Amino acid sequence: MKSDSRRMSLTLWIFAGLPTLFVLAVLFAPAVQGMALSFEHGGAPVSNYAAVLRDKLFWRAVAGNLIIPAGSLVVEFIIGLALALTLSARNGRIAAIADVAAILPFAIPEIVLLAIARYIFMPRGYLNGALRLLGIGPLPWLIPRSALSFATVIVVDAWHVTPVVMLIIVAGLQTIPPELYEAARLDGAGTLATFRHITLPMLAPALLAALVLRGIDALRIFSTTLVLTGVEGVPVISTYAYHLWTDAQQPRMAMAASVLLALLIVVTALVGLLAMRRTTLLRTV
Amino acid sequence: MNGSTVIRPAGQPRADLKSPWAALARIIIEALVVLGAAVPVYLLIKQALTPELESFAWPPRWLPHALTLAHLEGVFELAELRSALILSVAVAAVAAVAATALGTMLAYAMARRESLRQAGMAGVTAARLLPMIAVALPLTIVLINLGLYDSASGMGLALIHAALAIPTTALTTYGVFAAIPPEQEEAAFLDGASALRIFLAVDVPQAKAAIAASLVLSFIMSWDEFAFALLIQVTHRTLPPLLYYYTVFGDVGSASALALVMLVPALAVIIALRPMLKSGLVAGTQR
Repeated sequence: MKSDSRRMSLTLWIFAGLPTLFVLAVLFAPAVQGMALSFEHGGAPVSNYAAVLRDKLFWRAVAGNLIIPAGSLVVEFIIGLALALTLSARNGRIAAIADVAAILPFAIPEIVLLAIARYIFMPRGYLNGALRLLGIGPLPWLIPRSALSFATVIVVDAWHVTPVVMLIIVAGLQTIPPELYEAARLDGAGTLATFRHITLPMLAPALLAALVLRGIDALRIFSTTLVLTGVEGVPVISTYAYHLWTDAQQPRMAMAASVLLALLIVVTALVGLLAMRRTTLLRTV
Repeated sequence: MNGSTVIRPAGQPRADLKSPWAALARIIIEALVVLGAAVPVYLLIKQALTPELESFAWPPRWLPHALTLAHLEGVFELAELRSALILSVAVAAVAAVAATALGTMLAYAMARRESLRQAGMAGVTAARLLPMIAVALPLTIVLINLGLYDSASGMGLALIHAALAIPTTALTTYGVFAAIPPEQEEAAFLDGASALRIFLAVDVPQAKAAIAASLVLSFIMSWDEFAFALLIQVTHRTLPPLLYYYTVFGDVGSASALALVMLVPALAVIIALRPMLKSGLVAGTQR
């Protein structure tokens, strides 16, 4: 029996090791190689990092990389919460249709969603066509550097991922014991009071976990801005690095910018994980 | 305030729903959700089926005046579009098989040893922290050296898509393996079966449904993936980068037809796998 369990152990280590090695080789090894490239001296008078930090476009990309994820998170959490509360509380055929419809934006391939968004938001697109019926516009939804183009990118980004936020919140709602609501009802608590004192505190850990996960993903934004506005229109760090790599032929600077983005993501994740640990500690006390 | 409009957890019928305002708000939200999902898809279908001139009309036409199948036929007849379709299917198929095989192995190891489970979860989290751009750019150099950059077979891209999907396939199958009682394996052990044989004969058959779901999910992840495909398949394009070029530089009808061809399998799979999707997404939020 002992040799059996040793044999089992060996198999399990191979089972865990093969996929790990594969992921390390395909994803992490290139990342390390890129990091080395970012420190390589390219013959320029300043280091790659200094060159990036002196570039005005980089700082516009940093601003975009903070404003868009923040705005997107606010929109997707407010709408995700509203949808979760609305759709999880109903049965019946209409609810089933709405349930599928709510997932739809996430089921649409990202590039297809962005193609549709271009046709909707372009100067002679469907949105301006609809506004025209109301006597408004046309509005410059995607004009580079305008505040409105930031808003458009935020809305499209949130549109795609709100279903994910909704699903996580629905799962969180299901863990709240019905007795709590029963007790609140007997105490004569109203809808708002029940939401503030039962739903929201009970939901806090799920909300925070979703916020950290989505926050990390939101910082990696690339396709949305590339397809809707191009690199210069609304720059973010990923499209800025892509631009340096392809158009500007500056691979070392491109990698320096990517490493700075990785740093931003890791710091955000650490802050998020610390906050999560703190709330779970508070809840167990 | 009406005490009867308490928010109830899912799955419980709201027998006590009386406030007409709450019901009205709910109907409005549901209508908006359905409209928000249906209108964009409708516009895409309309553009794919109407002549080019109509798509450029101002003000935009909401209903089709003339119908044509030319754009959709083009997707299957034009060499550029057809080869992208074939390449996308090939890349997604290879990526799905590799990601499911490796993800299933990882999930099994995680389900049988607590230490491996913790390490696996940490690895999945670490993989999320990598910005794709920090991987994709240096990876092009690696693939050039291997002769897999922009290859006609698309196998360089398939490797990446497999690696990207392993966390998803592992999380999708983990639950089933964790639920299989150890006694079932012990009996086979006493009969002298090898560990690999036990995995294949005892565990895999019970996880068939989850493994099938993993295959389909990872296929669609690859089918949808845009950023790596854009950087690596520069001339031998898969569907997503081709759609990008058609959307930015090409004609509306062909782009919409292409988008429609990409959309149909993705929608079918995600809607069919909704319950699986929930457990996979939620698994990442519970530590």
